[in-house]
Amino acid sequence: MAAHVLASTEAPLTHLQRVLLTISRLWAWLFLALLILFFVATVPVFSGISFLSVRNSQNILVAIVPVLLLGLGQTFVIISAGIDLSVGWVMSLASVLSALALRDSFNAGVPLPLAVLLGLLAGVFGGGMVGLVNGLIIAKLKVPAFIVTLGSSFMVRGLALLWSENTTVVGLPDGVRAYGNDSLFYAIRGDHGGFYIFSPPALTGDMLRQMDRILSWPVVVTILTVLLSMFLLHRTQFGRYTYAIGGNIQAALRAGIPVDRHIIKIYTLSAAMAGLAGFLSTLQFTGGSASIGDPLLLSSIAGVIIGGVSLFGGAGTIIGTVIGALIIAVLTTGLVMLNVQAFWQFIVVGAVVIIAVLIDQSRDLIVGRFSGGSE
Amino acid sequence: MRAKTLLLAAVAAGALMAGISSAEAAKLKIGFLPGVVDPFYQVMQLGVEAAAKDLGYDVVTQVPPTWGVEAQTPLLNAMVARGDINYIITAPVDQDQMVAPLKAAVDAGIKVITVDTFLGDGDYANGKVTFPISYIGSDNEEGGRISADGLAKAIGGKGTVYINSTNPNVSSVSGREKGFKEEMAAKYPDIKVLGPDYNLDDLNKAQQQTAAVLQQHPDLAGVFGTNVFSAQGAGTAVANAGLTGKVQVVAYDATKAAMDLMSKGTVSLVLAQKPFDMGYMAVEFAAADAAGVTSLPKRVETGFAILNKDNASDPAFSRFVYQVPGQ
Repeated sequence: MAAHVLASTEAPLTHLQRVLLTISRLWAWLFLALLILFFVATVPVFSGISFLSVRNSQNILVAIVPVLLLGLGQTFVIISAGIDLSVGWVMSLASVLSALALRDSFNAGVPLPLAVLLGLLAGVFGGGMVGLVNGLIIAKLKVPAFIVTLGSSFMVRGLALLWSENTTVVGLPDGVRAYGNDSLFYAIRGDHGGFYIFSPPALTGDMLRQMDRILSWPVVVTILTVLLSMFLLHRTQFGRYTYAIGGNIQAALRAGIPVDRHIIKIYTLSAAMAGLAGFLSTLQFTGGSASIGDPLLLSSIAGVIIGGVSLFGGAGTIIGTVIGALIIAVLTTGLVMLNVQAFWQFIVVGAVVIIAVLIDQSRDLIVGRFSGGSE
Repeated sequence: MRAKTLLLAAVAAGALMAGISSAEAAKLKIGFLPGVVDPFYQVMQLGVEAAAKDLGYDVVTQVPPTWGVEAQTPLLNAMVARGDINYIITAPVDQDQMVAPLKAAVDAGIKVITVDTFLGDGDYANGKVTFPISYIGSDNEEGGRISADGLAKAIGGKGTVYINSTNPNVSSVSGREKGFKEEMAAKYPDIKVLGPDYNLDDLNKAQQQTAAVLQQHPDLAGVFGTNVFSAQGAGTAVANAGLTGKVQVVAYDATKAAMDLMSKGTVSLVLAQKPFDMGYMAVEFAAADAAGVTSLPKRVETGFAILNKDNASDPAFSRFVYQVPGQ
């Protein structure tokens, strides 16, 4: 929206306008930086511990994995002027499917790494199938995305509960824990310190407190997914089509973009990423759960909006979504470290979402008010 | 002269700081991470804080806003990331899925005591999960059996009864269901057991589910609510249907709401657990472990108080009602 106004502005922007606009564009970065500074300053005072530690940074990264993965897919969807309300329950379904596939194939004699791979495929393809159906109904039958994904989320929820037999899918092989919780690097502080790759040294007792686990496997997978999403959205035709459809669907049609097919692809991608999140949660918790993604849907949408993706479509970036998810995770962790009750995170995140949209809208105001109207 | 004063001041400050740090070292920091917001865990928190005060320890409490591994794990990880917590006292929200996150805490040098719910099969000596120091909680199967006996007596040993429960795969409520069903099957052949339905800790859902069962089974004689939410929701549904006194409700957990329903005749029996004992004892166990005690029992059962209309006003029993000052 802001871009349209900007384009139609004839008078050059004043210095003040330019500063305000820059702040409004970069506010999420500034906010994140201020938030971190705030916690760095307050946490040691009130709790006597350090906020800025390797361990805490890793903890924040682990915490954003599911919210970010759901948010990445959602970023494509919202940029195309859609919405996907099914991702939370698709994640749950994928968690159940991947746990079942992993467990049953392992019990049938498949070696563990291959069973984990089968679990991945079950989660991603199982999730992706839901997205394919969502996309088909939205694109071909012209039912609003809000309705389609709301409806499918109920159906997916039912399927997840049915297939998990209304309980946690357990009995996964013990080795699964390592896939979901081990790390790429291990660093040991202190005199006998060291840096290890892939596997930690054997430690016991208080020595364990000196070891930091850096980049757990789900975090590594998520970083790769972020890079892939950046490439896809910002460097390929897929990304250009996504912006074009969200910016002006009529113009996209006239330009010969295969709109229907592209919408189907976007919803499939979104659900497949939710499927990946479900698979990773199965590894992390060594079990599949039909309710695991439920509380994450709204956080993931909040992250996307805080990151500056416009609900009107056509605007937004992957890095914005990453910042949005980071803001939520830093808030949560920082408040816990300040020993503030966890409920406050809801109140603060809610306020930040509304402020984010207000700032987004203020761009029109900044340009409109100071340029004296350009129509 | 001035240099000398400065030096003296520095030495004094150094001595002071050394004094503080050695005092801090002896002081344990306890993390308390219950399952969800409810009166049961609030009373447990009182127990944790009372023990910590008596022993001069610090407590860091974080309460998950909702029941689930996705709500409990980030709080757990944030506690671990603090780096200053020695013991975590927690009620794992899933006996299997919380194994990996709590193992990660142990791998970071923190010791774990579970209260109310346990990990794996609950046998920390020879079972599949052995890393927690102890489990301190109710013998939930025994609680289920007591509830079955109480309900059977209240309905005259025959009829249809229904179990409303909260979540699958949570050691505490699963044990209650199991004990209840086994006791009914073994001792009361004329009683048919329906359910359990799972309300996922949602009061409204518990009420709806119970109302639906009342519709389907107009002859329903009794309901067993396996925790705060179940009992309250079931009791409300029974009262709304105008069946107070005709359908007997046994409530696990002595919340004020459950006591209120009992005084109105909707609930006939309330099984009080001892969350204060669980919280207090868990901190004492941490202290003992830190002092080098190696023979702590791996499993401690805190027992029950059975409340009914007759003894509810007796202070010896009413003290087990979950009371949080200021609420």
